[in-house]
Amino acid sequence: MVQITSALPIAKMVGANRVVLGTGIVHVTGDAKLPPADEKELRRKLVQKALDALQSNEKG
Amino acid sequence: MDVGARHAVPVLTPVASRLVPYPEEFNMRIAHYLNQFFGGIGAEEHAGKGLEVRDSAVGPGRLLESLLGNDARIVLTLVCGDNYAVEHQEEITASVMAKVRQANVDLFVAGPCFDAGRYGMAAGALCRAVQAELSISAVTAMSEENPGVDLYRDALYIIDSGTTIANMRNVLDKMARLSRKLVTKEPIGLPHEEGYLRRGWLRDQLVEKKAATRLVDMLLAKMNGEPFDSEMPPTAFAPIPMPAGVKNLSRAKVMLITDGGLVPRGNPDKIEGTAATRWGSYSIEGRDDLRAEDYEVSHGGYDTRFVQEDPDRLVPLDALREMEKNGVIGKLHNEFISTCGRSNPLSNTRRLGREMAEKIKRDGVDAVILTST
Amino acid sequence: MQLSLAHHPISEIQFGVPARLEGAVLIVDPATLRRMILEDESIVSVDFDIARPGERCRAGPIFDVIEPRAKAPGCGADFPGILGAPITAGIGTTHVLTGAAVSVLAEISPDPTRSATGRVLEMSGAPVEASEYSSLQHLIVIPHTKPGLPRQTLEKAYRLAGIRVAVELARSAWNHLPVDLQTFEPVGPGEKGRDGLARVAYVGQIFSRQRKPAVDEPILYGANTDGMLPVMLHPDEWLDGAVVPSLHSWFGGTETYFYQNHPIILELYQRHHAREINFVGTVATIAGSDNFDRERHCRAAANLVKWNLNADGVVLSKYGGGLPHADLAETARLLEGMGIKTSVMVSDVSRDRRVESALLFNVPEVDAIVYNGGNGKQWQVPRVDRVIAATPEFVELLTGPMTIEASNIVGVTNQQGASRMRAMVY
Repeated sequence: MVQITSALPIAKMVGANRVVLGTGIVHVTGDAKLPPADEKELRRKLVQKALDALQSNEKG
Repeated sequence: MDVGARHAVPVLTPVASRLVPYPEEFNMRIAHYLNQFFGGIGAEEHAGKGLEVRDSAVGPGRLLESLLGNDARIVLTLVCGDNYAVEHQEEITASVMAKVRQANVDLFVAGPCFDAGRYGMAAGALCRAVQAELSISAVTAMSEENPGVDLYRDALYIIDSGTTIANMRNVLDKMARLSRKLVTKEPIGLPHEEGYLRRGWLRDQLVEKKAATRLVDMLLAKMNGEPFDSEMPPTAFAPIPMPAGVKNLSRAKVMLITDGGLVPRGNPDKIEGTAATRWGSYSIEGRDDLRAEDYEVSHGGYDTRFVQEDPDRLVPLDALREMEKNGVIGKLHNEFISTCGRSNPLSNTRRLGREMAEKIKRDGVDAVILTST
Repeated sequence: MQLSLAHHPISEIQFGVPARLEGAVLIVDPATLRRMILEDESIVSVDFDIARPGERCRAGPIFDVIEPRAKAPGCGADFPGILGAPITAGIGTTHVLTGAAVSVLAEISPDPTRSATGRVLEMSGAPVEASEYSSLQHLIVIPHTKPGLPRQTLEKAYRLAGIRVAVELARSAWNHLPVDLQTFEPVGPGEKGRDGLARVAYVGQIFSRQRKPAVDEPILYGANTDGMLPVMLHPDEWLDGAVVPSLHSWFGGTETYFYQNHPIILELYQRHHAREINFVGTVATIAGSDNFDRERHCRAAANLVKWNLNADGVVLSKYGGGLPHADLAETARLLEGMGIKTSVMVSDVSRDRRVESALLFNVPEVDAIVYNGGNGKQWQVPRVDRVIAATPEFVELLTGPMTIEASNIVGVTNQQGASRMRAMVY
C-alpha cells in the first residue's frame, strides 16, 4: 500500500511505510488553482510517484 | 499453622483453627483466585496442577479478608497451577465461572501476582470474564511489566503491586480499599490516588484551574527544570512491517481506497461524516473518469467543494485508467473503497481496515493506493 | 502600547428608551439596534432577547459571544479593519461592560454531521459551573437573513451584527466613570529592567486551512489571512479587537469574547506583572493547507520566536480540528530543537475515550501537554421555561429534556484556554 496525503506527520506517526505528499487537504490529488490540463498532468505525476513507491523497497 | 517459622511455601490453614467465629451474615462475600505457590500447594514443580477449591481464605487471602473488614469473608478460594491455567484457559475459566456463580459472591479477587507472568495472564482473564459475564466486581494486582497488564489493563482495575513480594501487606491493603469502593459503588479516583495501573481511558473532569493557567504553570516548571505532569502521555504505535515492493507493476492489479468520504450520490451505505463505522466498495467499471453528478462527499472535516467539483481530485481514477491503458499497471480493480476518516477512533478504524483488507485479498488485489485528506 | 480597559460592571440588562447606562444597569433600545443591523441588506429582520444567569433558559445555535466594548472617542477604531480602518488595536482607552455579553444566534447548525443543535448557551442547571458564559448577562441577537444566501454570506452578517451591537452597547459607558481602570505593564522583546527573568512568548493559531476562507472573511484586522505567513502581534492587539474567529469553524471552541479576554495572554500578563517572567510578545500563526504550507508556517513562527522575540520558553495553542495538532506539534518540535522550551494546549480528539486515540502527534520533545477534554462528557438537561432561537425548529430541538454533549455548550470546551474541562487519564 502507498498512502497519498498531506497529513504527513500523522501518516508517519501511525507507521505508514510508503507515503507520498498530496497537494493539499481539500484536493489531495488535484489542484483547483491550476487550469484543467495542468491539473491532470499534476495528478498523473503524483500517481506515478505513488506507483514508484509501491515498487520500491525503501521506506518513505 | 504459622508459628513464626519461615516456610518456603505458605502453609494451608484449616478452617477449624480460626479463633474468632465468623458472623452468620456477611455484607461482602468474596471469591479469591491464587496460583499453586500462594495457594500453598507447592512451588514451580506444581505449576501443572489443576483447579482446587477451598471454602475459606487461604494464604494471603487471610490477610486480605481481615483488611476488608469484619463483614467480609472469603467464601471460596480457587487454586490452580500456573501452567495448567495458561494451557487450559478456556476450561479453567468455565470452571471458575461456574463455581463463582454458585458461590453467590459480591467480589472476585485474583492474586496479587507481582511479576509472575502466567499467573498475571490467568488472573487477568478470570477477572475479566467474571466482571463481564457475571457482573461481579473484580480486582487483581500485578507489576507493570507483567504481560497480564497489557492484555487486561483497559478492562480491569489492576493494583500496581511492584515486583517485591515483601510488600504484600501494602498491596493487599490497596486491593482491599479499592474492592470496598467497587462493591459499594463509590466513585473510583485516579490511578495515583487509588494505586491502580493506568488503564488507558479518559474521563472528563472539571478542574479548578483553567487550561491557560495550567499551560503557563507547566511551561514554567519545565523551564525551571522542575518535575511536571503532562496531561497526556505520548502515544505508541507498534511498527508495521513493510511489505515487499511490487515486482511487476505492469501485471499488477491496483485498487484505489480513500478516507475522504467520496460516496455515490445518495450515500447508499449511509457512511457517516464523522466517526464512520461503515465503508463501501463502489463500481468504477468502464469509467475513465469520476463525474461530479454521480458522487457526493460525506466528510465533515474539510472543505469538500473542490472534490465535489471533480472527484478525481480525491480518487484519481482518470490518471490510473490512463496508466492501465498504457500498460504501466496491469489492471485497475473495478471497484474503489471509501470511508470517512474524520474524528474516527482507532476502535473503529482498526476494524474497518481489517474488513477492507479481507476484501482486498479476496479480490486478488496486488497493491493499494490510499488517498487521505 | 498603553491599553487601558475601563471596566463598567453590569448586573442587569433591560429594554428601554433611551439606551443608556444607569449605574450597573444597561438599558438597551432595540429600535436603535434594529435600524443599525438592518443596514446590512442580508438581514431582513432581527429580534432581541435577554438571558440572565440562573434563568431556566437556553439559546442556540450560538454563532459568537462578544463582550460589549467600545474605544473611547479619539482612542482608535473598534474592530479595526472590519468596522473601520485597520489602525493598530491595543492603544488608548477601551470601555468594557464587564459581566455582560452579546450573543448572536445562527439560523443553521455549524456542523449538522456532528450536532443538530450546534452550540448552546445554558443559563441554569448542572452545566453552568463549567462555562463562564453562564454567569454573564446576555443580550441575545437573533438575525433573520434573506432566504437563499450562501452560507458564508449569512455568517458574515452574523459576525458584523454581533460586533456592531457589542460596540453600540458599550458606547453607553462613554460619559461614565469606570469602576475600575485596568492597565498592563509594558511588554516587548526589548523591555528593560527584566534581566534574569525567563523570556516567555505565546504562539497562537488563529485559523486553520482545513477550509479556504471567503475572500471577504475578516479574521486579522479584517484580512482573511489567505496566503499569509505568521505575524508578530503585541498582546494588546489580541485583546483589543485585532482578531476575531473565522466565519465558519466546524469545530468551534473559539469566541470573540475570549480573544478580548484571552485567557493565555491575561495569564502571561499576570506572571509578567508579578515579575515571574518577562513576557516578550506573541505570534499569530495559521495551520497549513498541505505539508509544505505547514512546514513553511511552523518554521516561520519558530524563527520569529527565536530571532525576533528571543524567547526562552513558549506556550502554544491551536485552532480548528484535528489536523492543526500536526502544526502545533511541529512548531513546538522546532522550538525545542532551538533550545526553547514549550508547552502545548490540545483539543480533545479522542472519540472512543481511549488514551491511544487522544493525541495526533508523537514527538518526544513535545512532552508538556495540556489536554482540553469534553468528548466524553454529557449532561442531562431539563425542559426549560424559555428557548431563544431563530426558528421554530430550533426551539423544538432545544426545549428539552435532552442530553447535551459538553462540546455543544458554549464555553465548556475552548481552544483559547478558558476551559476547565480536562480529560483525566485513568
